[in-house]
Amino acid sequence: MAGPAYIADPPDAVRAVELDGLTALFHRPSGMTHILAAPAPQILAALAAKAGDAEAILARIGERFEIEAEDPAAAIAARLAELEAAGLVRRA
Amino acid sequence: MKHRLDLRIGPVSFRIGSDWRSPLDALRRLYETYPEPDPVADFTVRLEAERVWRRWLRPSVAIRGDYVLPDAAPMALAHGLLAAEMGMNLQMALGQKRFLLLHAATVEKDGRALLMTGESGAGKSTLAALLGERGWRLMGDEFALLDLADGRLHPFPRAISLKNRAIALFDGVAPDRLGPLLADTPKGTIRHLRPGAEAIARMDEPAPPALILFPRYDPGFARAIRPVGAAEVFVRLTQASTNYVALGERGFAALAGLVAAIPARAIDYADTDMAAALVEELWDQ
Amino acid sequence: MTMGDDVNEPGSEGFAPTRRVVLALGAAAASTVVTIRPALASTAGSVLNCEIPIPEPRSAGQYIDAAGNLVAPGTPGSFPPLGRPLKGEEVKKLLAGGPSPAGVDSQAAQAYANYIRRLQAGMSGFTCYASLQMPR
Repeated sequence: MAGPAYIADPPDAVRAVELDGLTALFHRPSGMTHILAAPAPQILAALAAKAGDAEAILARIGERFEIEAEDPAAAIAARLAELEAAGLVRRA
Repeated sequence: MKHRLDLRIGPVSFRIGSDWRSPLDALRRLYETYPEPDPVADFTVRLEAERVWRRWLRPSVAIRGDYVLPDAAPMALAHGLLAAEMGMNLQMALGQKRFLLLHAATVEKDGRALLMTGESGAGKSTLAALLGERGWRLMGDEFALLDLADGRLHPFPRAISLKNRAIALFDGVAPDRLGPLLADTPKGTIRHLRPGAEAIARMDEPAPPALILFPRYDPGFARAIRPVGAAEVFVRLTQASTNYVALGERGFAALAGLVAAIPARAIDYADTDMAAALVEELWDQ
Repeated sequence: MTMGDDVNEPGSEGFAPTRRVVLALGAAAASTVVTIRPALASTAGSVLNCEIPIPEPRSAGQYIDAAGNLVAPGTPGSFPPLGRPLKGEEVKKLLAGGPSPAGVDSQAAQAYANYIRRLQAGMSGFTCYASLQMPR
């Protein structure tokens, strides 16, 4: 029920700069730049070189943060779809 | 090519070749007081006849050079000066590797630079030119050059392209600073203005940026100042850059460094005096 | 890429419960990732005076349907090639919902507009089209 597993590149594959509450991210393998809003950076960190499905991602993020969501599974799935479309995560 | 002119503007030197003499004569007069060009050119521009017979029959200028954009429409010979300027812009826009290029006007005071950026027609060129006549040093009206190594802005004080109504604002300048009046060009009526002597004399002096402005002009606007968040500035500047993507990580680092450290404001103004006053007010803060 | 550290509340009997930063996951429909696209856009105005042929030379002779696809000449409901390329300024106005270019009727203009919107890299006129788009 937790959906497919995803994985992101290791932490040194990206370069991130905090700007005014958002994260500007340079993805070295693709040379593309993205602007991310929470929780996208946290999801990326949870998947950096470590595969996980929605359940695992929620657990990893939950170690550091108090998660707030009406429908956590739907929210995570939506964020993963965005990150996948941007080339920042892929199916593991 | 039959005719040739070498020019140096700030850290960039151009070799301009032309099938006709007249555009180069006009360019030479406009840039008469600039320093000696480098023997080695960074970029080449060529003003070529579209077809062999177009050198003489309804002469039509195609802009070519090291870098070429497809779909470019040829221009009338009467607008050859404009074609040469666009050619130089094009080479810079596509080929510049040492600096992050931003479509912005830059002026300097007290050793610090003000960057003004925004959509074409927002009046930043005109505003920069006016500030250049009012105690500021003009560093550039079209391209800002951000040094990838140290984050300073480098001057690129090419001739300012005044458009339509803005031309009348500079009636009082020395006549030898003005190029010919070019009517009915693809961009409207244009007249080039050579920057002032100080801007040219100090074209090798960079300055660190201190403020970013997004000016908007409309006769109906009420005077307004709004802060702009760093992430929004970052995105808007990527859209105002011709070479951000090509520069990869160094471009990212330079731009992120700029916006993380430098404050940004959006200003609305209805006339140039209001604009100048807004700039002075924000600069003093 | 941190959202803040754990905050310790002063507790009473030596046990300090941790109050953590709240992270909202956002609604499913929200957008949290924006990708920067290369911008020929606003900057090209200073370097490019361009035009778009309709259709491109290698499709010469084909007609254009209302959706902007290339179709065989004479296909019902389709429009003939435009005899002259459209200038950048005309295209900009047309795509912004403005008036048809001179000499073009409004239905044909919409078909040509859709043809332009479907231009892809490598097709004649694509660079011009890309340079006219508003930044995202």
